[in-house]
Amino acid sequence: MKIPNDKGYYGEFGGKFIPETLSACLEELEIAYAKAKKNKNFVNDVNFYLKEYAGRPTLLYSAKNLSKVLGLNIYLKREDLLHTGAHKINNALGQVFLAKFMGKKRIIAETGAGQHGVAVATVSSLLGFKCDIYMGAEDVKRQSMNVFRMKILGANVIPVVTGAKTLKDACNEAFRDWVTNVRDSYYLLGSVVGPHPYPMMVRDFQAVIGKESRTQILKKEKKLPDYLVACVGGGSNAMGLFHFFFNDTRVKFIGVEAAGFGLNSLNSASLSIGKPGVFQGANSYILQDKYGQIKNAHSIAPGLDYPGVGPEHSFYKKIKRAQYVSVNDKQAVAGFNLLSKTEGIIPALESAHAIGYLKELAKKQKNSLVVVCLSGRGDKDLDIVRNYNGIKL
Amino acid sequence: MRLEEKFKKLKQEKKKAFISYVPFGFPEINMTGDICLTLQEAGVDAIELGIPFSDPLADGPIIQKATNWALDKGANVDLFFEEFSKFNKKLKIPIVIMSYYNPILQFGLKNFFKQMKSLDISAIIIVDLPLEESQPYIKEARKWNIDNISFITPTTSRLRVKKIIKYARGFIYYVSVTGITGPRDLSYSQLSKHIKNIKQNTEVPICVGFGIHNSNQVYRINKFSDGVIVGSEIVRFIENNYCEKNFLNKLKTHTKNIISR
Ligand SMILES: Cc1ncc(COP(=O)(O)O)c(C=O)c1O
Repeated sequence: MKIPNDKGYYGEFGGKFIPETLSACLEELEIAYAKAKKNKNFVNDVNFYLKEYAGRPTLLYSAKNLSKVLGLNIYLKREDLLHTGAHKINNALGQVFLAKFMGKKRIIAETGAGQHGVAVATVSSLLGFKCDIYMGAEDVKRQSMNVFRMKILGANVIPVVTGAKTLKDACNEAFRDWVTNVRDSYYLLGSVVGPHPYPMMVRDFQAVIGKESRTQILKKEKKLPDYLVACVGGGSNAMGLFHFFFNDTRVKFIGVEAAGFGLNSLNSASLSIGKPGVFQGANSYILQDKYGQIKNAHSIAPGLDYPGVGPEHSFYKKIKRAQYVSVNDKQAVAGFNLLSKTEGIIPALESAHAIGYLKELAKKQKNSLVVVCLSGRGDKDLDIVRNYNGIKL
Repeated sequence: MRLEEKFKKLKQEKKKAFISYVPFGFPEINMTGDICLTLQEAGVDAIELGIPFSDPLADGPIIQKATNWALDKGANVDLFFEEFSKFNKKLKIPIVIMSYYNPILQFGLKNFFKQMKSLDISAIIIVDLPLEESQPYIKEARKWNIDNISFITPTTSRLRVKKIIKYARGFIYYVSVTGITGPRDLSYSQLSKHIKNIKQNTEVPICVGFGIHNSNQVYRINKFSDGVIVGSEIVRFIENNYCEKNFLNKLKTHTKNIISR
């Protein structure tokens, strides 16, 4: 079975639900991507920059202290050590070379936590693209350090004041810009969401996470892990970790969504409590009311604060290849503190959701071998955590 | 009245269609009826009634604001049908529902068409449903004899145009610009060229929408199209004037001025 199929479907999920104006450019993108994948220069460029510029392969670190505290055998896939501080650069590099390959002049992107925005601003300055980044006004406030980084890198950051002023609204605005400027602009989407071919492309560019992890864990432990654990916003770091293990059916996948204030309150747990529907280009699980209106999401982690999820995750849920769980703001901050105190590693609040879940996992199966995707570093989140914990300096 | 009948009549009278868009529930749930009847009196030939969606990807600031407003007032699919049933008997012109896919999908395609049928609404436009994803929808629409209106845009390739017109019913919605809804300047020569090309291959009327906001544009476009669709300009007018005394009269005059036949 080919996943996705030619129409961009993962089982019943995925597809291309977009205004007609975008049909032509999605088709152009699909064709260009298929060509680029077979183009030696493109492949070499991406691989070269992943290694020499971004810092791949990343380490697979045996977190002994954390393992001891929790009663698990935990390895951390250190995407936080990449240039710009998160896994987002893997996808940004791949797509920016695709934009160049296609002869586009300008890059558009959305960003939530600002990590994708920073990655896009970075690769745009590297290749000399003009770059406009949409960011919810709420996120501009809570991730101001990343806004400043993007500006230093020469990107134009456009605050979005519609809706809840977070990631979904930034995404809408980026789409509107793209519809208007389709001919010369490239929309560099940051997760495995949106219309086909984005979920597939972003997955392919992030799959390096799992590919490396698989080799590394086999070398270090002489066996495959029992569990893979990753946080799920749109789902790119999780899909990146899972993809190469798909056929290793004994390796269990756990995606950790943001339960925000709780599953009965505002949250971002689309797979846990949402329903399938069509939103931002794809059929997938979404948070919606009974009339099909998209609900506002919430998470303390701006990168998870999104009411949808990539269609391939919906498919994994449906075929039970992955299990999706959720961790609330409080548990995420506990994970943040725990990793900082035990290992001297400050995780991004998004990644802290994956860490926050490990306590639950330990209850299920003591001493199991776990690979956790540490998708990003926490520098950007210090203000949020300080406010949350009420710490005075 | 069905679109087909309307366009036939217009053709006999050598007139072009003037279609206006208004979102349901804006500025108040119970004002939609009066607004529709006023537009009818002003002489519009058909009304596109928008069912608001929380994330209107193809809409510019004016319609975004109006539909969000309507959602805040509680607009939803149930309420739409309920309200519409209060004034549908007084409408003599074709009504076209315009929305995004998810509200309709969640209501259930079959249920939705059934409700439409029972209220004599015989056409629908779904913004985010391109041809590739349309098959189940078109199949169901045919069963209920409902016209699914298709978009063609400046970026639609010739090959795609051929595929799209095969399924086109009611009229073809030609999007005047690559972009979102909202007032714009238009390039008539490009537009006219595209539309003439499409016309060579189909009998289905072609109406032009997006960006049109004054009578001069209407006049220029009607030289080569079968009609126009005006949305944002009317929505903007409603937003700015609905609190005024004689609002409906003003709306009527303003609409007449844009139609200016
Ligand atoms: C560090 C980090 N992890 C995870 C995410 C969530 O995205 P995804 O689920 O696509 O990996 C983000 C998004 O901004 C992020 O910055």
